[in-house]
Amino acid sequence: MAQAWQGKLEKLDNFRWKIPQSYKPGMKVPGLIYANESLLPGIINDKASEQVANVSFLPGIVKYSLAMPDIHLGYGFPIGGVAATDPVNNGVIAPGGIGYDINCGVRLVRSDLILDDLKPRLETLVNALFNNIPSGVGSSGDIKASAKEEEDIFSKGAMWAIKKGYGVKEDLEFTEDKGSMEGADPSKVSVRAYERGKDQSGTLGSGNHFLEIQVIDEIYDGEKADIFGLFKGQITMMIHSGSRGLGYQICDDYVKSMAGCLNKYNINVPDRQLVCAPLDSGEGRAYLSAMKCAANYAWTNRQCLMHLARNVFEKVFNKSWNSLGLNLVYDVAHNIAKMEKHKVDGKERLLCVHRKGATRAFPPGHPDLPELYKKAGQPVIIPGDMGTFSYVLAGAEGSMQETFGSTCHGAGRCLSRSGAVKVCAGRNIDKELFNKSGIIVRAKTRTTLVEEAPEAYKDVSEVVNVVHGAGLSTKVARMRPLGVIKG
Amino acid sequence: MKPFELIEHTADVGIKAWGSTLTELFENAARGMFIIITGEEYKPQGSEIEKKIEINENRDDLEGVLVSWLSELLYIFNREKIYFNNFKISSLNNNGIKAEASGINIDLYQNGLYKEIKAVTFHNLKIEEDVDGFSCTIIFDV
Repeated sequence: MAQAWQGKLEKLDNFRWKIPQSYKPGMKVPGLIYANESLLPGIINDKASEQVANVSFLPGIVKYSLAMPDIHLGYGFPIGGVAATDPVNNGVIAPGGIGYDINCGVRLVRSDLILDDLKPRLETLVNALFNNIPSGVGSSGDIKASAKEEEDIFSKGAMWAIKKGYGVKEDLEFTEDKGSMEGADPSKVSVRAYERGKDQSGTLGSGNHFLEIQVIDEIYDGEKADIFGLFKGQITMMIHSGSRGLGYQICDDYVKSMAGCLNKYNINVPDRQLVCAPLDSGEGRAYLSAMKCAANYAWTNRQCLMHLARNVFEKVFNKSWNSLGLNLVYDVAHNIAKMEKHKVDGKERLLCVHRKGATRAFPPGHPDLPELYKKAGQPVIIPGDMGTFSYVLAGAEGSMQETFGSTCHGAGRCLSRSGAVKVCAGRNIDKELFNKSGIIVRAKTRTTLVEEAPEAYKDVSEVVNVVHGAGLSTKVARMRPLGVIKG
Repeated sequence: MKPFELIEHTADVGIKAWGSTLTELFENAARGMFIIITGEEYKPQGSEIEKKIEINENRDDLEGVLVSWLSELLYIFNREKIYFNNFKISSLNNNGIKAEASGINIDLYQNGLYKEIKAVTFHNLKIEEDVDGFSCTIIFDV
């Protein structure tokens, strides 16, 4: 978008910028953007701040319309947006506050391998992953589920995969919500959505989705790294995918069917993509039950992808995945709405936290954490672009005080896709990455490579430094990519 | 009058479409959407398939009909792998649309030519009229 945002951001401190409630009539709370001086110009340039202001129109929104430092222009909500709504105060749920790729998320798998073990087989491994993990648009995989099984996936989530032998019980322990949200209702999912979800379990998808082999090159917090089983020089694997066609269709269905809710419940929002319904209404409940089906499907999908990847490791290293130590560190959702307990003005309330390109970041001691991580806090997995770094953070107390237990989700784009194509015209991104950093990249299409070029993204380290500095989550480890497969 | 142009959006992709009539606007928007998928140079070749599309919504909502029209084409494209490049709308109003769309049966993905569109969004969607006709900006989630 050519013209920069014309509104005013008030600097509160080095990490916080406020959009006053007076910015435009109809805002129910102020906006709050986490950023620093160097990220700020990019944020102002792409008008995402206007979307932060728009979100503050949602009925029942509590405290602030929030945006994480990886904020960029979305539709309805900005990417990086967080909003909590209170059901007892006419709070709403907005499908656009979750997005089309419901429970898009990332999981991190550690290993007992170090760089020297991997180096001689890296290319073989990356090629084998690329050949054995279905990726790309509309790809369907070898992991098939019958109609009845699809219903099981919707209501039970990743447990379906474990029962089928695609993983072990411990994997669930280290998945947000144990890979299954309660209250998923398959009868709220349309026939079309069913159809689009069929045969896509265990497929990566396209666009920014990826599977990456990495090495930990920096540890910031030795104690927490130890608890997460991470050490310098260790090989890790990151998987980024979501609910595929199922989630897109569910969001589509409900954005359409909720159009009438604006009049019915007398709701005023400045953008139609922010259509919403009260949490305490038939429409709101139906969407939430359908959304949970897609969330469960996405966790199953990432579980299946990890299973396929473990199989590939076994073949390449001729050892069982167990003896290679390929254990799940954690799996986080970054497009989701959750009913969570949060303190507002000293009182505990059950709120609906929308995270659109934001990650849950529960602090040490939170009851929803696995026993093993109670002392360290929740692992937060932050993928960067394919040429630089990714991070593991740990949830911190500040997130509970300020952001409804949320933090950033990635680097965040700074160039549009067509902008990236222009900047990278005539370049061989995969060759460049290999020649410059030895990173082996395999992608289904050249367009994906160019659109996802490192230049298209903000500096992930800046983004992470903001959430660390603001006390929302703390840095634990940094990974550097070695091999990437993309759809 | 230009039929459509691609516009910049940080995370997603958009088009601005024009038409001297509403029918033309809807047809051009559909063309633009399929250009996003393959790029402008793509010339599909193969046997032609025709589909009848009828949407009745009775919501008095033209933007809603536009999103439904594009979503329907996208749905058929995903399910049946038909790359649509010809659109003939026979009736269109605030409550629905009746049209014939034809295209080529081709698995674009196999040809490595494919950009996935996840959905057609309502983001800031407004069909506007001026002396030259109609226009709108549509953002697609990709």
